[in-house]
This record gives sequence, structure tokens and C-alpha cells, in this order.
Amino acid sequence: MKRRTIVKIDNRIRQCREDAGGLSQHDLADAVGVSRQTINAIETGKYAPSLETALLIAHALKRPLDQVFVCVFNKG
Amino acid sequence: MLDVSFEEKSVWIQLLALVGGLGTYFVFAGMMLARGELALPAYAPLFTAALIFMVLLLAFGHAVAALTRKPEPADERDRLIGWKSEARSSWLLSTGVIAGLTGLLLSVPAAWIAHILLGSMFLCEVLALSLRLKYCRRGL
Repeated sequence: MKRRTIVKIDNRIRQCREDAGGLSQHDLADAVGVSRQTINAIETGKYAPSLETALLIAHALKRPLDQVFVCVFNKG
Repeated sequence: MLDVSFEEKSVWIQLLALVGGLGTYFVFAGMMLARGELALPAYAPLFTAALIFMVLLLAFGHAVAALTRKPEPADERDRLIGWKSEARSSWLLSTGVIAGLTGLLLSVPAAWIAHILLGSMFLCEVLALSLRLKYCRRGL
């Protein structure tokens, strides 16, 4: 079986925030316990969060983790 | 002011205080060294004044920053940025220490060795703070 590697991790935080009734980055940051700048950096792909923070974000957005963060695997 | 975190503001304040305080010290100390002043105690008043100036800048800057925005603790990204910046700037301090030790072997005057060590510490910290700002803005 070929071993797959993760090329990048996309996220749907912005869409999930909108689906959650227009939750702001600031509200999400408060719920997760990080700064708004960190949420923005995660949303724009400038920072890959720890598993703990990723789980907290998913929990705050009331979504399963794999609906918020999506792995892009290589084709090999 | 721009929408920046308290942590990033703090880094800007530290950088400005460091450059304003120790940077000014190095300008005057450099002139003294150029004049041939080799007695270390002659630098003590200037160094003390620079330290006091730096502490005042830090205190004033952080007080103003705290008034404009509620201070918040550093989060995981801030800590990671700090570690990465320090890891990528520590070579400057090591270089200064090696240069200082080489100076000792070559019997370079103590005033020069002290300033090589202090200078490398200063440059290392300036680089670390600059890298933190870069990573805050451009991402890790």
C-alpha cells in the first residue's frame, strides 16, 4: 500500500463562522482562547494550529474536526 | 491604531526601547572607544543611563498599549513565533561569544571584549524581535 502524505491542510473556518450565524473572528478567538490574529492566521493558511486548538475551534463551531479542517493528500 | 494583538504591540515596544536605549549607548560608546577610552568604569554611567532610559520606554510603552487594548496572554502561535525567532537569531550571540573568547586569547583590551559581547547580545535581540514581527505579519 502506498503511503500518502499531506500536501497541505485547508480549512473552512470562514464558511463555518458564517453558517454559525455570522460568528466573528473575535468571538471565535474568545471561545477558543487565542487572539483574533491567530484565528485570522489560521483562516488564511498562514499558521497550522495544534491539534488541541483545532479541536477547540471545531467544538466552538459545533462541527466535526474533518468538516473544519480538510487534508489535501498527494496523488501518489 | 492598527488592529494588532497586545503581544505584537509589546514586541514593537521592546524593539523601539532596545534600539532607542542600547542603540544610543552604542553610538556614544563607539565614539569613546574610537577616542581610545579603555577603562571599563568610564562606560558605567552611560550604560546605566541607557538602561534607565530603556526601562522607562518599556514601562511607558506597555502602559499606553494596555490603555488602548486589554492585555491578553500569549497564545500558542505567539509562543511558537518566539521560539522560532530565538532559534534563528541565537547564532549572533554565539558568534559574539566566540569573537570575545578570541579577543581574550589575543589580549584585546577588556573594554573592546565587553562591547563585542554586549553588541552581539544587542544584535541577537534586535534580530529576534524583528523576526517575531515578520512572523506575526507574514505567518510562520
